[in-house]
Amino acid sequence: MKTSLKTVILATGLSALAAGAAVAQEATFVMTARLVGAPTYNPIKATKLNTATTLIYDRLVVQDADQSFHGQLAASWEASPDGLQWTFKLKPGVKFHNGEPFNARTIEWWVPQFKGTENAFTVDAIERVEVVDDLTVRFHMKHPDPNLLFNLASSFMCVPEPKSYQALGDKFGVTEAVGTGPYKMQQFSVGQQTVLVRNDDYAWASDLSKNQGPAKFKKLTFREIAEESTAYLELKTGGADLLVNVPVDFLPRIQADKAAKLITIPGTEVVYMPINTSVEPFTDIKVREATAFAINQKEIMASLYGGVGAVADTFLISSLKEAQVDPKYKIGFDIERSKRVFEQAGWKLGSDGIRAKDGKRLEVKLWAQNGTEFKRLTEIVQAQLKAVGMRAEITILDSGTINSQYRKKTEHQLAVRSYLWTNADIVDWFFSAKRLGYPNVSMFNDPEAERLNDIAMNKSKTWDERVANFTAYHAYVLSQYPVAPIYQPVQSFAHGRKIVMPETIRGTGLYGPSMLDIAPAN
Amino acid sequence: MLPFAIRRLVLLVPVFLAVSLVIFMIIHLVPGDPLEHVIQVGSSPEQQAQMIARYGLDQPLIAQYWRWLGKVMSGDLGDAIVMRQQVSRLIAENMPHSLALGGSALLFSTIVGIVVGVLAASFRESWFDRAAMGAILLGSTLPSFWLALLMILMFAVQFEWFPVSGARSWDALVLPVLTIGIGGTALIARVTRAAMVETMSRDFVRVLHAKGVPFWRIQFRHVLQHAMMPVMAILGLRIGWILGGAVTVEYVFARPGLGSLLITALGQRDYPLVQGCLLMLAIAVMLGTLIGDLAQAALDPRLREAMATR
Repeated sequence: MKTSLKTVILATGLSALAAGAAVAQEATFVMTARLVGAPTYNPIKATKLNTATTLIYDRLVVQDADQSFHGQLAASWEASPDGLQWTFKLKPGVKFHNGEPFNARTIEWWVPQFKGTENAFTVDAIERVEVVDDLTVRFHMKHPDPNLLFNLASSFMCVPEPKSYQALGDKFGVTEAVGTGPYKMQQFSVGQQTVLVRNDDYAWASDLSKNQGPAKFKKLTFREIAEESTAYLELKTGGADLLVNVPVDFLPRIQADKAAKLITIPGTEVVYMPINTSVEPFTDIKVREATAFAINQKEIMASLYGGVGAVADTFLISSLKEAQVDPKYKIGFDIERSKRVFEQAGWKLGSDGIRAKDGKRLEVKLWAQNGTEFKRLTEIVQAQLKAVGMRAEITILDSGTINSQYRKKTEHQLAVRSYLWTNADIVDWFFSAKRLGYPNVSMFNDPEAERLNDIAMNKSKTWDERVANFTAYHAYVLSQYPVAPIYQPVQSFAHGRKIVMPETIRGTGLYGPSMLDIAPAN
Repeated sequence: MLPFAIRRLVLLVPVFLAVSLVIFMIIHLVPGDPLEHVIQVGSSPEQQAQMIARYGLDQPLIAQYWRWLGKVMSGDLGDAIVMRQQVSRLIAENMPHSLALGGSALLFSTIVGIVVGVLAASFRESWFDRAAMGAILLGSTLPSFWLALLMILMFAVQFEWFPVSGARSWDALVLPVLTIGIGGTALIARVTRAAMVETMSRDFVRVLHAKGVPFWRIQFRHVLQHAMMPVMAILGLRIGWILGGAVTVEYVFARPGLGSLLITALGQRDYPLVQGCLLMLAIAVMLGTLIGDLAQAALDPRLREAMATR
């Protein structure tokens, strides 16, 4: 009887240990806010992808936080001096989840698949793909495109398996997603969750990952929770092990929570105030200058963001080389300069604290999209503008409406917006005269800017040349004050006690390469 | 009964056409378009023009409507522009979740609402009546967003009885059902109570009391049957509501469903998907009303006869 009792106790203990080990093999990650709602894992046709994509698939190259490029499926690469040929050596022994080999033929098939899709621009410059040998592929370019590596590092350039891609048609990425990544897609319900299981054969990680073998967790569940409070409470109650993106409002609460740990890395977002250069009084460059220098970035960062993040004094994130413009072009708070330039422009301060010129008061419209953070930020901007004698009336519009209102071109004057991007070509996107109204909310249409844009976008042959050309273009745009830079948020992640995060998050965010280094706590 | 049902069904056809036109026009007249969620940074204006043409958004609005209506009539709700999937497939995936949540909430609010309404009417002007009606009034005025978070904080975070969110197990349904059900209970209880009180004052009830029929037998067997008429009308309307009325709750509890699908589609101005979702909801409301009318007619022979001879 004693023996059987011992056996039972031992068996129970072992079962508990086994159950614990099994739990330790699994983790639940929660995506919230803008990461919610990716409808497919088809990288070629998708216009929105989420973090799990970079665990299912690999790309030829990946980008680090310092904007350098590292091989993932590519072992090495070389561009010809004229920029018209790019030769990629591929890693040997790479296999897709279904056992099919990855080789030069895969790339030859893959590039033309983008034709006619929303992502066609990523391979627009590639004339044709030549298979040199089984593991060497050469891109023949229509024209030099030094941005090719950036495009190849995009999530939309994840490489799917050709046979299943063709066999599944529109169902690819929804019912099945076959890549070469460290995880295989087991189940996906749009807007709800994605279940991934480990690819035990994985042995071709990029050097951004410390772990060069299979992932540490056997199973990962990516849940999508749009409501930020709910996402936070899931972390707090242990229902989630990692919040892939922490909303700004929850930073103080998570910092104070002993059960959770907060990790921040430099962001890829810039919050800014476009100034509509086509409407009065902002047709006058002096008014734009005075307005831009009235924005107190440090005060905003301290009061709204608890001092976390970085001020923005150019239009680009600080880690981009093109952001390193001559300091004279940087736009930082200078209230005396703001007041002086207003005076020079003829806008005199009235007895009520609002400036006026030729009997017209300095009253403008200030737009923002809905959302607590934007509303509060816009109110601070409003107060700062009032401090220099400008009365701004706030209008809050929903995110689906505001862009169409910008397209009316002359309805708006000032706005508070943000963008997420890690390439200097965002200057072209928001300030090119080809896109007046939206996305060129500033209605910036300047011949010199267009000339510099053309050089930066079309005449650069090498990456260094492109950096120099975009730096010049960016500096010129700043010199015309179509925008007031405000703030660069950090990227924040929070995790519970069950997982251990890598010491350094490599890459431009928490994507596949760094996720490969996440481990169970015991 | 059958002629009445057929007559009501035929009447739904022009209603359906009118609803389809209103749905189509409303979403197309709201500022914004789906391409803003499809166009990538780096794409050229020419590529954007190609996209507009691909989705037929460069056609006159009336031409777009006819094309959509033609497809709908042949059973094709089209493809979602941003979601990149068949609208019918997305709706089919979300419908069971909405039915489970809305159906459970309707069942909960109906049972609790009728029981509370009957008891409140039976003990009219007592402390129970006042307390029940007061509590119900309070419950119905609480914003569902706030109530949902309160439920999570109390029953998921504090007591850890139920999961915070999701739709992965049966117990994840409890808190959302309670959140929606409380609001529905208030309406049904108030309508039941009012109808019961009105019926209780009728002569036939007095006669039953005079004959010595037991009180609760009169209440449940005779009074409640008559009082069910307005309750059935309310329930009929709520059948449509159960599919799309849980938008906030689905959002807070991170549950799939038609409501959350519609919210996503509206935010993205995904025209085919918004149209498909709204059409489903409109059909549900129309069928719910029809079922309510048929149920009333089944319960009341006078109504049945009156409608059949109209």
